[in-house]
Amino acid sequence: MPDHVNNWINAYLDGELRGSRLAQVESHLDECAECRAELASLQALSGLLHEAPLPDFPSAKRFAANVVLGLPRKPETPLGRKALEVAWWLVPVALTAAWVFVQTTLLLSDWIGAAGRLGLLETPASAWLTPAAPQETLLSALLSQTGVLGGSGVQLLRSVSAFFDSTLVQIVWQVSIGLLYLAWIASWWARLSRRGYGQPLAAGSRPQVK
Amino acid sequence: MAAPPSTLHETELVILAQRGDRNAFGELAQRHARGVLGVAYRLCGESQLAEDAAQETFLRAWLNLSSFHPQTSLRNWLYRIAVNAVTDMLRKDRRLAPEDVTEMDLTDPHPGPESRVTRDERSALVTRAVLSLPEASRAVLVLKEYEGLSYQEIANLLDIPLGTVMSRLNYARKRLKEILQPQLSVYAEVENA
Ligand SMILES: [Zn+2]
Repeated sequence: MPDHVNNWINAYLDGELRGSRLAQVESHLDECAECRAELASLQALSGLLHEAPLPDFPSAKRFAANVVLGLPRKPETPLGRKALEVAWWLVPVALTAAWVFVQTTLLLSDWIGAAGRLGLLETPASAWLTPAAPQETLLSALLSQTGVLGGSGVQLLRSVSAFFDSTLVQIVWQVSIGLLYLAWIASWWARLSRRGYGQPLAAGSRPQVK
Repeated sequence: MAAPPSTLHETELVILAQRGDRNAFGELAQRHARGVLGVAYRLCGESQLAEDAAQETFLRAWLNLSSFHPQTSLRNWLYRIAVNAVTDMLRKDRRLAPEDVTEMDLTDPHPGPESRVTRDERSALVTRAVLSLPEASRAVLVLKEYEGLSYQEIANLLDIPLGTVMSRLNYARKRLKEILQPQLSVYAEVENA
């Protein structure tokens, strides 16, 4: 006897088979008494299961009346949900605002620093607003003291570290804001796909099982 | 004046209920009471517990109605909540756990060749056999056998792959055939008579 179709008899019984699979199972059933017996026993089981009646529940009307009596005043307040929704959409706005703020601050401090170096600002306030760039970094000081680098080497290293002092801060800020943004987008997707439940449940959709 | 709820289409009732209309929700509850009570009863086998679970189902539905999309199947959404409500109730009260159905409960009360269990006894045996199934296969069996949902609907409702629906259903029916073997042969005789 060729392969039995045991695994498909349930799906056949439930009307879930289509196309070539359905034809295959039907032609096998025609010639295989064993699988026909299996199908018959599943049909008998289904009939037997339906012999067990439901108990005497209250009428649908009375049940529904009880349901309504037990309901809290309002469904989940649409207002509360709205507020959540608004807060949710405020996240990217807040992130963008933070980014603009950081950029502006950095730009301003660059300008003030430049102005200070040109001698345009003499107030003490400029002292702490001026970036640390022109000062020696610990590393370059150490290297020049231990004689690892000559004069011009130290000079080069100084400008490089000055560049990184301000650029690094910017990069760190931008990357972290970017990551937060990505995290938000990821959770937004997760929410969307979770809500997507039920979409394919159009009435009468009986997808075929290959 | 608004039309009486009973004349409205389900989608209209859902939208009204989402705006807080309790009468519209009551009409929806009335339309789906049978189905939800039935699912709950088949899953727990106890009428009072089933009624409580069904009430709980509609309460949860009311509280979460704003997350329901009116274009999708309300019945399947309610069934999903009902399955969860019954599961929660059975877990809360271990004494009611259907898995505790013993071998004794499943045996023929009148063994022997002359035995003919009454119809009532037979349906009691059937109910207990269904309850002896593992929770996961029981839900699939109930939704297919008693509610006639398609495999895809069951997969969506229980959040499991289509293949898992099929294997759980195969398992459930195979197990039930073993447990109910004596009743099955009697049933087949009666049917053929
Ligand atoms: Zn065969």
